[in-house]
Amino acid sequence: MSWTIAVGVKQVPDDDEVGIDPDTGRLDRASAPAVMNPPDREALEAALTIRDQVGGEVIAVTMGPPNAKTVLEQAVAMGCDDAVLVTDRAFAGSDTWPTSLTLARTAEALEADVVVCGEETTDSSTGQVPPGIAAHNGWAQLTYVEGVDARPEEDRLAARRDVEGGHELVAAELPVVVAVAYGEFDPRPAGLHRKIYAENDFEPTQWTAEDLEIKEEVGLDVSPTSVGGMETVDPVDRKGEVVDETDDLAEVLTEVSA
Amino acid sequence: MTPELDGDAVADPNYDDEFDAIVVGAGLAGSAAALTMANRGLEVLLIERGSSPGAKNVFGGVCYTPTIRELTDFDGAPLERYVAERRFSMLSRNDETAVSISPGEWHEAPHNDSYTVLRGEFDEWFAEQAVEAGTTLVTSTTVTGLVRKNGRIVGVETDRPDGTIRAPYVVLAEGGNSLVSEGADLKATETRENVAVGVKEVLEFPGRDEVIEDRFRLTDDAGVSYHYFGEGAVGDAFGGGFIYTNDDTVSIGVAYRIEDAVAADQSPEATLNAFKSHPAVAPLVRDARTVEYSAKTIPEGGAESIPDLVHDGAAIVGDAAGLVLNNGVHLEGTNMAVESGYHAGNAIARAADQGRVGAKALQAYPDALERSFVVQNLERYAWMMDAVEADRDLLFEDLPRAFADAGTEYFRMDRTPKEAHAENAKRAVLDAVGGWTGAAKLALRYRKVVT
Amino acid sequence: MTDDEEPGIDVDEYDDVWVFVEEHAGDVMPVSWELLEEGRKLAEKLGDELVALVIGEDVDEIAEEALARGADRVLVADDPVFEPYRADPYGEQFRAMVEEYKPSIALIGGTHTGRDFAGRVAVPAHAGLTADVTEIDVDDDGLLQARRPAFGGDVLATILCEDHRPQMATIRPGVFEAAEPTDEADGEIVEADVVVEEADCISEVLEREVGDTADITEAERIVAVGHGVEGDLEPARELAEALDAELAASRAAVDEGWIDGARQVGQTGKTVRPDLYVAVGISGAIQHLEGMNKSGTVIAINNDPNAPIFDHADYGIVGDLVEVCPDLADRLEGELQEVVQ
Ligand SMILES: Cc1cc2nc3c(=O)[nH]c(=O)nc-3n(C[C@H](O)[C@H](O)[C@H](O)COP(=O)(O)OP(=O)(O)OC[C@H]3O[C@@H](n4cnc5c(N)ncnc54)[C@H](O)[C@@H]3O)c2cc1C
Ligand SMILES: Cc1cc2nc3c(=O)[nH]c(=O)nc-3n(C[C@H](O)[C@H](O)[C@H](O)COP(=O)(O)OP(=O)(O)OC[C@H]3O[C@@H](n4cnc5c(N)ncnc54)[C@H](O)[C@@H]3O)c2cc1C
Ligand SMILES: Nc1ncnc2c1ncn2[C@@H]1O[C@H](COP(=O)(O)O)[C@@H](O)[C@H]1O
Repeated sequence: MSWTIAVGVKQVPDDDEVGIDPDTGRLDRASAPAVMNPPDREALEAALTIRDQVGGEVIAVTMGPPNAKTVLEQAVAMGCDDAVLVTDRAFAGSDTWPTSLTLARTAEALEADVVVCGEETTDSSTGQVPPGIAAHNGWAQLTYVEGVDARPEEDRLAARRDVEGGHELVAAELPVVVAVAYGEFDPRPAGLHRKIYAENDFEPTQWTAEDLEIKEEVGLDVSPTSVGGMETVDPVDRKGEVVDETDDLAEVLTEVSA
Repeated sequence: MTPELDGDAVADPNYDDEFDAIVVGAGLAGSAAALTMANRGLEVLLIERGSSPGAKNVFGGVCYTPTIRELTDFDGAPLERYVAERRFSMLSRNDETAVSISPGEWHEAPHNDSYTVLRGEFDEWFAEQAVEAGTTLVTSTTVTGLVRKNGRIVGVETDRPDGTIRAPYVVLAEGGNSLVSEGADLKATETRENVAVGVKEVLEFPGRDEVIEDRFRLTDDAGVSYHYFGEGAVGDAFGGGFIYTNDDTVSIGVAYRIEDAVAADQSPEATLNAFKSHPAVAPLVRDARTVEYSAKTIPEGGAESIPDLVHDGAAIVGDAAGLVLNNGVHLEGTNMAVESGYHAGNAIARAADQGRVGAKALQAYPDALERSFVVQNLERYAWMMDAVEADRDLLFEDLPRAFADAGTEYFRMDRTPKEAHAENAKRAVLDAVGGWTGAAKLALRYRKVVT
Repeated sequence: MTDDEEPGIDVDEYDDVWVFVEEHAGDVMPVSWELLEEGRKLAEKLGDELVALVIGEDVDEIAEEALARGADRVLVADDPVFEPYRADPYGEQFRAMVEEYKPSIALIGGTHTGRDFAGRVAVPAHAGLTADVTEIDVDDDGLLQARRPAFGGDVLATILCEDHRPQMATIRPGVFEAAEPTDEADGEIVEADVVVEEADCISEVLEREVGDTADITEAERIVAVGHGVEGDLEPARELAEALDAELAASRAAVDEGWIDGARQVGQTGKTVRPDLYVAVGISGAIQHLEGMNKSGTVIAINNDPNAPIFDHADYGIVGDLVEVCPDLADRLEGELQEVVQ
């Protein structure tokens, strides 16, 4: 038994470095260095864990501009067997609907048994893409997953999910889309030789919208949502006083809780 | 039609003996070695533990660039300012006596090869030059030990899984805190008295333009290098303070011997804070905000504590080899790091061309270093550290105070004739140095600093 | 399975504001009632009806409660296949109901279940779905304006959905006041056709364990613990007791398993706005701040003077929480006694 496991990884601006352009008031994301979406590192770990359980191949997938290749290199360094860069100008302006369509078609083309995603991205933070992939393909979905248990003999993947007020163990038929809860899968370090290979000698496979036969179904035009405006939010004004003595703090606390 | 994977991904990559040389540490010495070897056609693997070269590297601020400029196209280098003025101050508790030097020539390119830089950017740029020349750089990877075969060093171990990699030559460019070299018994651990601690802050002036230009009297890309000694700089400890101007920040720090830090129970933060609040220093850094704080050790053993530079399969360069000149007037390590990396790289390239390994094959490196300014300078000033240590109280406490007193006396405004003032001034200094004989001895002892 | 409708449907065929009532074994998530209140306002502005969507098994009482809390109509899909929640049957049922009833707006609580569900159903409906919304309104054209913090809360982005219906949004729990039940409910309950069968389901819930169901969004005082407590909640708990406060947490503390997820504050947790918020051993990551920056007075206890939380606090103390918390608790109890005497 061996499964094909696809992992969605996305390149995002480094959270710590995103600033606001003082002239436009818009977010200056261009100057922030691009990194792998941190939850996706954990998705990779979950995918590699599933591979450890059943055997098979882990293939990292990103839909993004050509320079998003670097996140695929990181994925291959960590242990992915191969990677696909889905890149096309036609994708520009895609919201989660066409994004998940693209990834769904990619997963089909890879004949994936499992698609693993992160909980959400730090730049768009919707968490909608994984259920979207599942919906486009009519596959099962398991979100907020904290632990995976591959059951090849049943053709199912069982997962422990974090749900309101508790946990549940759910088994889903293959193919299945998994979104892992952030903070639950500690990403393994890349091996030295794999890292050297991934960063210097590896080239991902590249697919376009045409290759996936979705050229007319992606991009701005088919995206149901659009950004109507952006307002910068004034940070809440705080006093920012640092006191030296617990006594002083106790005083403040008695005052405010009086 | 379903698209397909290219399917050419390698399942089990292995780079053992794919590289001619491995360089440990992408500081100035390491990148210089890598660049030199890559320029000569070698396949080089450069391993850096930081997430990018220079990410965590600490230094004061002035990079001396005569060798770098020869090694690579220097035009795109991220320089902050060139040094247009060097100022040396003696600080007693409350006084300052200073000498300033700013020759017109320093305003002309190449500006005496002295530039303030920020290592995060500069080291990254320099490593990038090595990469462009063909070096393979891996970051976020710490070398934890050396691999030996029959005594010969044939590779390194790292903290990564599958983390051992082999190559015929290893260059150790790991900086002053040289755990790998020490762990492999290539050098002895520095004795306490030969190690200084440097702490540094980078300050910015939020919401204010031209503060640096105004306070330090600068135009365009000109910058300053201010050095301070005396008890007002580092209290009881043996060392000094510095201020360097960057493009829109100021680097301020102190460097002093670790032994004193312990003896005087003086924390680096406290020492730096005291320096920052000295009346001669405080106005320069008023209204500043600290954007970065860092601390690091500096080897200061001088010529005597240079370890064996080559071993069977390995060479040691830069701070790892103790190549820093720090005597109060000069604080130079960057130029020596690059120079040593360059000579080591050349020696390895030559050995590789001839298919030779072993310590003897690399002997060209110590030989070349011996002839270069690196060892020459270190030897020239070797005596000085001992002398300074012997005269410590005099140099760091009595003399700064005496100069301050002399100045006060000499320029005193009262109704006494100037002759009396001059006499008092002279006496203040002479008392401190032990009369004319003392002064003569002192001048003799330190003449080499200036001549 | 996929319903790749072309863009440009007739948006005028769609009306009514739907609110998804999320229930687990008979318990309704508080956010559902918050949305009912907010949905009421939208429906009134639009002159539309407010419809509560109740899916589950034996949910009559919940349907009644939705009416009492202000729904004009309750659409009920009642069947054992819907208990407990699973994405595939819920998704298919919702899709069928959207096709039949054509809602203009659908609001869903941004809980794990809500987001799992919304992400699934928006695709076949080709609906516009906005995640993690903290403000909603309708503009003059009757278009839903869903506003959400973006890029760590520095920006509030308004997301529109002009040519597709329904306009869907998941809304962060704790942001709005809940609708209270009244006696003058006069809406109707409508049984919807159940379109799914167990045999078609591709997932199976094997086990389900209920944990802490605390609702920290109502608390007036909160002591929140972060990774800095290193597994020992005692100092913070002492302080919470002295202050009569609820215990909450950063995600890092939840991830470590030191405290239940129901008490997580932040972008992917709850939004709280107590009068007093004490952050103990919390660094102040943007995702955390988003959930608490509307609190009254914010106090930070942290041993790192450079922790960002100090920039977002009214008062802070640099110190070891293991010492500061009990010390503070002692003094507070002292003060309290003084007040009593
Ligand atoms: C406070 C202070 C002020 C100074 N001021 C000046 C000055 O103004 N002018 C001047 O010329 N010199 C100055 N120096 C000295 C100068 O900084 C050094 O001499 C110079 O940086 C040495 O370069 P290097 O490449 O040998 O070492 P480093 O710059 O220390 O580089 C070593 C590199 O190796 C990496 N590394 C270490 N161990 C490992 C490992 N095990 N595996 C992988 N990577 C590793 C490190 O991350 C680092 O990138 C100052 C030093 C200090 C501390
Ligand atoms: C997609 C996504 C969603 C997220 N959603 C959320 C969310 O909803 N809520 C949330 O909180 N986070 C969220 N995060 C995580 C967030 O980015 C931070 O990682 C998290 O908030 C850090 O938690 P912390 O402050 O408790 O831990 P840390 O950042 O580790 O901080 C611990 C603090 O404790 C201090 N400390 C340590 N020891 C002591 C001591 N003895 N005494 C006093 N102080 C001490 C330290 O100085 C430090 O400041 C999310 C992240 C992502 C990527
Ligand atoms: N462009 C993309 N390429 C690959 N994976 C993606 C992309 N966008 C989203 N994902 C995956 O979907 C998850 C949730 O993203 P989001 O819905 O955008 O918050 C991410 O953690 C990724 O695993």
